[in-house]
Amino acid sequence: MSYCVNCGVELEQSLGQCPLCNTPVINPREAVCNKSPFPEEKGQVEVVKRKDMSILLTTVMVSTSIVCGLLNVLVYSSRPWSLAVIGACILLWVILIPIAIYTRLSVYTSVLLDGLGTVIYLYMLTFLSESSQWFWGIGMPIAVLVTLVTEFLVVCFQMLPRSFLTNTLYSFTSLAALNIGMEILIDRYLQGTVQLGWSTIVLTVCIIVNITIITLLSRKRLRNAVRKRLHF
Amino acid sequence: MAKREKPIPRKDWYQLDLSAIVYPTLHRHDFAPVYRQSVLLTEVVDPELLQRAVDLTMPRFPTYKVAMRKGLFWRYLEPNDRPGPFVQPDIKNPCQPMYFKGNNRYLIRFYYYRNRISLEAHHSLGDGTGCMCVLQTVTAVYLRLKGYPVETAFSKEQGYFVMNIDKQPDPEELEDAYMKYANAKFCPPRPGEKTYRIRGTKESFYTLNIIDGIMSTSAVLAVAKGYHATITEYLNAVLLYALLKKQESDRRLRLKPVKVAMPVNLRRFFPSKTLRNFITMIYPGVDPRLGEYTFEEIVTQVHNDMRYHINEKFLRGDITTNAATKRHPLIRIVTLFIKDFVIKLFYTRVQDHNSSAGLTNMGALKVPESMKPYIVRFDIYMGQPFSSRTNCAIISYEDTLTINFASSIIEADVERYFFRKLVQDGIHVKIESNREMTLEV
Repeated sequence: MSYCVNCGVELEQSLGQCPLCNTPVINPREAVCNKSPFPEEKGQVEVVKRKDMSILLTTVMVSTSIVCGLLNVLVYSSRPWSLAVIGACILLWVILIPIAIYTRLSVYTSVLLDGLGTVIYLYMLTFLSESSQWFWGIGMPIAVLVTLVTEFLVVCFQMLPRSFLTNTLYSFTSLAALNIGMEILIDRYLQGTVQLGWSTIVLTVCIIVNITIITLLSRKRLRNAVRKRLHF
Repeated sequence: MAKREKPIPRKDWYQLDLSAIVYPTLHRHDFAPVYRQSVLLTEVVDPELLQRAVDLTMPRFPTYKVAMRKGLFWRYLEPNDRPGPFVQPDIKNPCQPMYFKGNNRYLIRFYYYRNRISLEAHHSLGDGTGCMCVLQTVTAVYLRLKGYPVETAFSKEQGYFVMNIDKQPDPEELEDAYMKYANAKFCPPRPGEKTYRIRGTKESFYTLNIIDGIMSTSAVLAVAKGYHATITEYLNAVLLYALLKKQESDRRLRLKPVKVAMPVNLRRFFPSKTLRNFITMIYPGVDPRLGEYTFEEIVTQVHNDMRYHINEKFLRGDITTNAATKRHPLIRIVTLFIKDFVIKLFYTRVQDHNSSAGLTNMGALKVPESMKPYIVRFDIYMGQPFSSRTNCAIISYEDTLTINFASSIIEADVERYFFRKLVQDGIHVKIESNREMTLEV
């Protein structure tokens, strides 16, 4: 039997070092035996299959789309209304991919796919309206803008430091960018020129909030005082 | 074998007991509240016979042969008739996360390795006492199948963990005893104080570092008596001493109180036969901000703390406070996902900060005389801690006392201070471990 010279504990025969202090066992009279009281094989965590849920969802979406499509072609065939239902099914399926179908999808790709799904849905709706001008002029640009702002927010949440204050800072910055972008796109579509109005009020509020947050973040004493008074 | 009784109608579902409600909400992809109990036999385990023993035994424990299900307001347990649970070769990294939809929905696992039988159970099923009944009954049935003259027909009053598999379960074994005894007229406030937390390097997914210390029960008892304390009080004081040393070595500017979360078996105070959870936590500790403590002072503090808190009145008040939350009509009508969110928030922000480490003592195990020749010792592991710290579990059988540390951090500082203190006090300690060690000192 070997003892740890540091800890004074007796060590089980298979231990080549003391597990408490890592001191090697040097005992010329007794070789370290390989027969450990613990198994050598490491276990793997069982993977839970979510196949059932994804199969069910996909089946419901596909069958709804096919049945509505057939109903549209064979019975109520005056307008291509089924495209709205099929588009909604595609959009819902795309949104559910990271939740039930492929859970390892990165959040960036999920947001990008959601944006793409929305654009496709809006495009399908153009077949129900008389012209597709609204889609190219305002529908698609706003969908792209919302996707880009969401991606920016996700990057901030994932890459930059996170706290209640920083999260608020990122959210208000995104809100300001979204509102300015929306007004530019709406003005350009409706009037042909850009004349900023209501979004500048939102921008002003956001700038005030952001400056306050940046001040709080840069002054530890101030931050602690606010945290103390507003803790919940 | 005695003639089986007429079967009583099986329950369709079981409500989760008061403790069990919390555990499922704490699930993470890398954490589940799973603990392990093992028995070391004198001879190598035969897996086929062990499987037969498990198959024969599990129907006797209906609340352990269940699956976890979700309702709109609460989770519940449903009898599980799927094949299993199956015995499997043991693994190096025990107490792995237990997903509710995996393992044929069983919340219990059986392992064998050489002469060791291990049982891992989700804490929602029951506490250490209930689980020990399952393990000892499986072991008794296994030994009987091997042809050994092992007695399994005991009355409840004899106090053995071995149950008679030919008898129907007593309805009292399946009850939520908390709600039965949570009837104090006042709900004492919960003690809450942020305590010292060990900062350690997290091990890779999924590693559970185990260090077992094996020693003589009589030697520990003699030393504990020298300090005018019981074994639990003495070992609790040693753990607090180790945590204080660790905090000291961290060189922190601000010291924090050091406390140990210790489950108390409520069956000692309330006459319940339940095999489900029936424990409550107490938090003996010392506050180094008040001055330096000698070891004797720590022992005295723990001794007084435990005498003050461990009594029928105080424990009744404690479980009444816990039960009041479950009984509150507004809380009851809130949907499960909101409850999950709130409970998890409360646990991570408050409950988990209340203690620096966990310690449980199963005490001296009583085993029927006819089983004694085939059993070497028992082990118990509290499983992976929720945060980066170490959990300590103590169990004794005959003259063998085993102290099992389980942690998911690389550093073993607390364990080192703990066992060195025992050696300093003149106790001979033998160490076993599953740690993968590097040659750096």
